[in-house]
Amino acid sequence: MHRTLRPFELLEPESLGEAVRVLASAGTGAKVLAGGLDLVAKMTRWEIEPPCLISLGRIPGLASLESGADGHLHIGPMTTLRSVELSSLVSNGWPLLHDATRQIASVQVKSMGTLVGNLCVATSASDIAPALCALDAVVHLVGPSGARTVAIADFFIPECCSILAPDQIVTEITVPPPRPGTGAAFRKLAHTKACIAKVNVAVLVERDGDVCRRARIALGAVASTVVRARAAEDLLTGGVATPDLLAGAAALAIEAASPISDLRSTSGYRRDMVGVLTRRALTEAWDRAGGS
Amino acid sequence: MRREVATFIVNGRTYEELVPANMTVLELLRDRLGLTGTKRGCSASGNCGACTVLVEGKPTLSCLTLAWTVRDRRILTVEGLSRQGRLHPLQQAFLDVGAVQCGFCTPGMLLSAKALLDTNPDPTRDEVRRALAGNLCRCTGYVKIVEAVLTAAAVIRSESGAQAGAAESAGAASGPGAAAGRPPGGASQEGAGLAGECVSW
Repeated sequence: MHRTLRPFELLEPESLGEAVRVLASAGTGAKVLAGGLDLVAKMTRWEIEPPCLISLGRIPGLASLESGADGHLHIGPMTTLRSVELSSLVSNGWPLLHDATRQIASVQVKSMGTLVGNLCVATSASDIAPALCALDAVVHLVGPSGARTVAIADFFIPECCSILAPDQIVTEITVPPPRPGTGAAFRKLAHTKACIAKVNVAVLVERDGDVCRRARIALGAVASTVVRARAAEDLLTGGVATPDLLAGAAALAIEAASPISDLRSTSGYRRDMVGVLTRRALTEAWDRAGGS
Repeated sequence: MRREVATFIVNGRTYEELVPANMTVLELLRDRLGLTGTKRGCSASGNCGACTVLVEGKPTLSCLTLAWTVRDRRILTVEGLSRQGRLHPLQQAFLDVGAVQCGFCTPGMLLSAKALLDTNPDPTRDEVRRALAGNLCRCTGYVKIVEAVLTAAAVIRSESGAQAGAAESAGAASGPGAAAGRPPGGASQEGAGLAGECVSW
């Protein structure tokens, strides 16, 4: 059935500072509008009825995607997933983020949806969040009490959502520069390529000859939020990366998962697949890291 | 609720409409402007692609886009694909190849395909499939649809080549519009104004 959107006020500030002031004074239930994919869909279904939307669309410069003087990748709040996918800067410097973005099938969704919006929706099945966790990305927020930064792994709150307060706006995501000797891989399991993940895994390893100096394993769709498999990361760190060690880490990663059973998959199957996908991703990432 | 007159540029024509904040582009097109080629499919879940239009050349789900946010921007719908009574090569190929069954997904398919060919005039089969991944065909006629897009791409490439050759041999006196058999200031000029668009379409 077609439903018309409930009436709301639409405000269009022209700077981020004005957006923060407007959001603070707009009252309970006001929402920030970026790409609108999730927000407008929920409003169309009358799941939420915000009295006021604050659009970021008229603020210049928010669709930025560039490498700063510090070598970090800077992603603005209006930068679309499609821009990230098509960026040679991203595919060359941060191929893991490119791979994760490419997993999203619909060109329309990628052309409209923003990367920051994908994170703010805070679904545990995000393809983007595990990749950014493995890359140690940082979320930059601003609100009436000022600006702050938070590691992306701490941005999401289990059983809930994210730490983003109703009066805060994400202003930027930064991703540290790639380090020499690192390799990464992204694996997703879904019913079809267009479907939401049953399980997804992003891994990154830093290699020094046969020794693993650093490891990141982030799991999506297998807990109430994106989770890091820290015990598995610790097992790998400092170890000689034999196939047995990689398999051991993959088995340990399963313990970080607490999946549910739903229409997409059963809990047991998801758990098993965390092990399989993590082992495959670790092997691929290790090979990509090379021997130097 | 805010309700203001805004300018919308749809298929090259300018419309001034009194638009409330809660109107979507799909409602604007179908209910206000009478452009019913754009379809309402999955009721705003973002899954089906039947409501796809191009906003500044980019495939956009009109059911999830607030009309107010695309004021003053160029919108292309299926009604704007043909030129001077001639079907767009994509439309013609869909007919010739038999890529239309019930037809409900066709407008969205055509626009997603146009966005692809505007930026990639010689796509592989896989690239076509990827470009159309956001458009569902419940009749499951994907094989013919992909074939039609590849056929249209070849037609557009050969027409562009022929046109470039004709313009070259006709020289500066005739001008590019006349060489293509179009009035000066016609489609070729409009095409040149759209970022990444092919010369003729």
